[in-house]
Amino acid sequence: MKDLIRSLHPLERKVIPNLKNNITLKELAESSNLQEVEAMRALQWLENKKVLSSKQNITEEISLSDLGTKYLKKGLPERRLLEQIKDKPLQIREIKLDKGEINIALGELKKKAAIQLGKEISITDQGKKILDKESLEEKFLKSLPKILKDLSDEEKHAYEALKKRRDLIITKSLKERKIKLTDLGKDLCKEKIDLDLIESLTPQILKDNIWKSKDFRSYDVKINVPQIYGGRRQPYMESLTKMKHKLVQLGFEEMVGPLIETEFFNFDVLFQPQNHPARTMTDTYHLKKPVHGKLPDELVVNRVKLAHEEGGQTLSKGWGYKWSPEIAMQLMPRAHTTALSARTMAKGVKVPCRYFAIGRCYRPDVLDATHLIEFNQMEGFVADESISFKTLLGILKQFAIEVAGAEEVRFYPDYYPFTEPSVQISAKHPTLGWVELGGAGIFRPEVTNPLNIDVPVMAWGFGIDRLIMFKLGIKDIRYLFSQDLKWLRQPRMV
Amino acid sequence: MPTINVSIKDLNMLSAKEFTYEELESEAILLVKGEIEGVDGDDIIVDVKDSNRPDLWSTEGIARVLKSHYTDEKGIKEYKVEESDIYLHVDRTVDDVRPFIVAAVIEDVEITEDLLIQLIQIQEKVCLSFGRKRKRVALGIYDFDKIKSPLTYKAVKPESVKFIPLEYKVEMTLKEILETHPKGIEYKDLLKDFDKYPIVVDSKNNILSMPPIINSQYSGKVSEKTKNLFLEVTGTDLEDTKVALNILVAAIADRSGKIKSVTLDYGEEKLVTPDFTPKKMKVKFDDIENITGIKLTLKEMKDLLEGFCYNVKRAKDSLEVEYPSYRQDILHPIDVIEDILISYGYNKIEPHLPEIATVGDLDPLEVFCEDVRNLLPGFGAQEILNFTMTNIEHQFTKMNLEERDVIEIANPVSSKWSCIRSWIIPSLMEFFETNVSQEYPQQIYELGDVLILDESAETGCHTVKRLAWALADKESNFTKAKQVFDFVMKSIGLEYEIIEEDHPSFIRGRCARVKVGDRKVAYIGEIHPQVLENFNLGFPVCAFELNISEIFKLKK
Repeated sequence: MKDLIRSLHPLERKVIPNLKNNITLKELAESSNLQEVEAMRALQWLENKKVLSSKQNITEEISLSDLGTKYLKKGLPERRLLEQIKDKPLQIREIKLDKGEINIALGELKKKAAIQLGKEISITDQGKKILDKESLEEKFLKSLPKILKDLSDEEKHAYEALKKRRDLIITKSLKERKIKLTDLGKDLCKEKIDLDLIESLTPQILKDNIWKSKDFRSYDVKINVPQIYGGRRQPYMESLTKMKHKLVQLGFEEMVGPLIETEFFNFDVLFQPQNHPARTMTDTYHLKKPVHGKLPDELVVNRVKLAHEEGGQTLSKGWGYKWSPEIAMQLMPRAHTTALSARTMAKGVKVPCRYFAIGRCYRPDVLDATHLIEFNQMEGFVADESISFKTLLGILKQFAIEVAGAEEVRFYPDYYPFTEPSVQISAKHPTLGWVELGGAGIFRPEVTNPLNIDVPVMAWGFGIDRLIMFKLGIKDIRYLFSQDLKWLRQPRMV
Repeated sequence: MPTINVSIKDLNMLSAKEFTYEELESEAILLVKGEIEGVDGDDIIVDVKDSNRPDLWSTEGIARVLKSHYTDEKGIKEYKVEESDIYLHVDRTVDDVRPFIVAAVIEDVEITEDLLIQLIQIQEKVCLSFGRKRKRVALGIYDFDKIKSPLTYKAVKPESVKFIPLEYKVEMTLKEILETHPKGIEYKDLLKDFDKYPIVVDSKNNILSMPPIINSQYSGKVSEKTKNLFLEVTGTDLEDTKVALNILVAAIADRSGKIKSVTLDYGEEKLVTPDFTPKKMKVKFDDIENITGIKLTLKEMKDLLEGFCYNVKRAKDSLEVEYPSYRQDILHPIDVIEDILISYGYNKIEPHLPEIATVGDLDPLEVFCEDVRNLLPGFGAQEILNFTMTNIEHQFTKMNLEERDVIEIANPVSSKWSCIRSWIIPSLMEFFETNVSQEYPQQIYELGDVLILDESAETGCHTVKRLAWALADKESNFTKAKQVFDFVMKSIGLEYEIIEEDHPSFIRGRCARVKVGDRKVAYIGEIHPQVLENFNLGFPVCAFELNISEIFKLKK
């Protein structure tokens, strides 16, 4: 009991002296000199402490609206109309009623056969009777407010009729909470509870050393507290950053570049012929504005042109068509990060080197649970004398283990226009099973030779979204770019 | 990446080997860069990833590689072509519209259901992908018994001749076919720039077809009763048409029939097709060893290639290889080397991690961006990530701005994603709009890319990093935005100057422009209530947007 008393909140302490069985919340608030919400909180806490139980009854009260009050004073429109035609019939425009009231009055009276409509409106015998007597509805209006469940049959009839007319009466639910004390509560009420306890520890209390002489009120430490949200980094962004750091650890340098590319870097440098289906409107975005960009150094452009047309300085036959610089100048949102590799190689690289990029790419897909309209590719290349297919597989295996946490890898022949040999890599993930990780290969001589690179260059690109989705526990790929604040705010395991 | 329907029974018959599904899936199908995507009874659906090898886009083509790899029939499969007096005259009128035609005849063909299915598949896949939707090449197959040599390939006026197109009962002019026949409508664009259309006619003046649109009902219909076939391929490049013809002839002849040649009279030049003379390439031993990274003996190399439809001879320091005439993907010795590796088996190679000494590093601007991003969660701000694609309405109209020039997509999938953003605050406003039912205050930020048009730039625009921050709350105001902004700028270590400058997206008199030196780098302000209304927001919003790329340059 002593602990109980010590834990009482000031609000609780205010209501306890006024507690008795069957008191309502409203009464309690009044007698305790509290607002109803405060009394309510105190009651809930006391209920948690098993001091009392409370039950809510709902009663529906019918009262007059502003309009109802007005009509009660002036008379209902139908009565006022009848009064006006009592002695002689009138034309509609001669009737003095507010706009809107006329139709209601005519409707009501017509229903009761109290008037005859013609050129003029005249009162019937029935109408005269009605005029002499107070109607049920009028009687009911005068008697308000009333409790719905207490209505007599006659009153109910009037209530239903009035309810159909707009804005005359209001039906309000009244919530009434009644209290019942438990045995503990009864005992508590007998105790002396006006202990002088410290509520909040204030600078003043510290200064005045009051805490040395007074006790603190105990809190209910089990109580639920309102949730707060700390600001967080975006989870997908966070995962991408972690991947970047991993790649730096493996000796890779980051490449960056423009989101809008010339077809030259997106396709031509990568030896994709200009009539290739991948370059059509269905497979890649094109721009309406701006349309053309600029080509780099003429020397490089010419070497690329020759590689396409007849192989240039490589042993290649080339594609055997007339290469057009106008097509190469066209601009497009980057379709793959390989454009970045092309750009980086074109700038000139020092061998040996390792480069990577995690970059935004665009492809004309419809946004749904498995497709994004913009996505990130992880991609890179390694240029060194020692690059061969065997070492390419070695590098890929290292990635699979370090970046994707794979246990085992498998390689499949594959096709990319810019690499030969090409390989697809699958990794056995501890939980996901076999997952296709991405593709790789050695850049074709038609790609590297025009860029003046004379060592083999291995290129790789990984689809990282699936792994990140798994890590974040999401099934819908749109959550990588989540627009759901609730989801973003929720605590995530660190 | 065409997907091919293959009956395992049919494949086993053609490759003379009994493959189980498991053997195909785990090993054999890898030889053709295939992946089994689905199973339908005895049929498997194979994704052949090589978009440059139309010869593999049929059961016959796949079987040819497997047969060479797994049976004793090594090397290039030979196709005997019997010379004939069948003659096709190429009239110069086709030069402008569709200059090349090649043809072949196969007699005594046993036309089975399997073959018919494959013929349709080859025609469809080859014309679509390799043929660039019939633009580059188109294939026609006919009942040779209804054709009388010599034939003529010529271009004529669209209304000058009539014939009954396939699956029709009435004669139509070429013009009518383009306007009303389903295939005519589908492919009419291929002929839209020409005033004469190509046709093939025989000596009795029967029209065989109107390439690349449609065959005639009379001779262009092939059924299980047909015995002798006439094949033609038209196109814009002679080499492409020859490759396509050989693919088709080889596929049919792999089952049955006698191939007969057709003489094509191009005027000064005469050509006899089909021509199965193998193509040649030299591959240096050194290159093979350097690229594969594995040591192979001459015999091993020979075996690997002969098991992959090659004939191999040794030259001094290199292999002299012959490969089938229908392969047009081999441009460089490297393409032969890949075939050596595939024949060897990728998974038999022991991966080796090379020792390459390089130093890894992040891009300095990216590092700076990450540092800035990490400043904001301390204020309780939630980082968000948006697409850079959006639309004019969101970027400008809803932001109370006049439309401006931005990067516009020519072929948007949806009007919702039809341009690329030039500022980020609209993305944040849209995010608020999506989350009106969530608890307030809502404090969000994004540091990402926007694109700014600049005709003089290499790519017609600049990719610029911007930081945008916004707070939606009942107590959101200019002071709050400026406090956060000030903290960011002090953390970056740059002095700045505030100037009064109005902007239609912000409340008049509650918007500031920020200058560092003489560069304008940011806006701070309270978002205009009209903008809030446009985004259906019931709380005030304050925001700022800072040009991080510029700040990064200034800091340096």
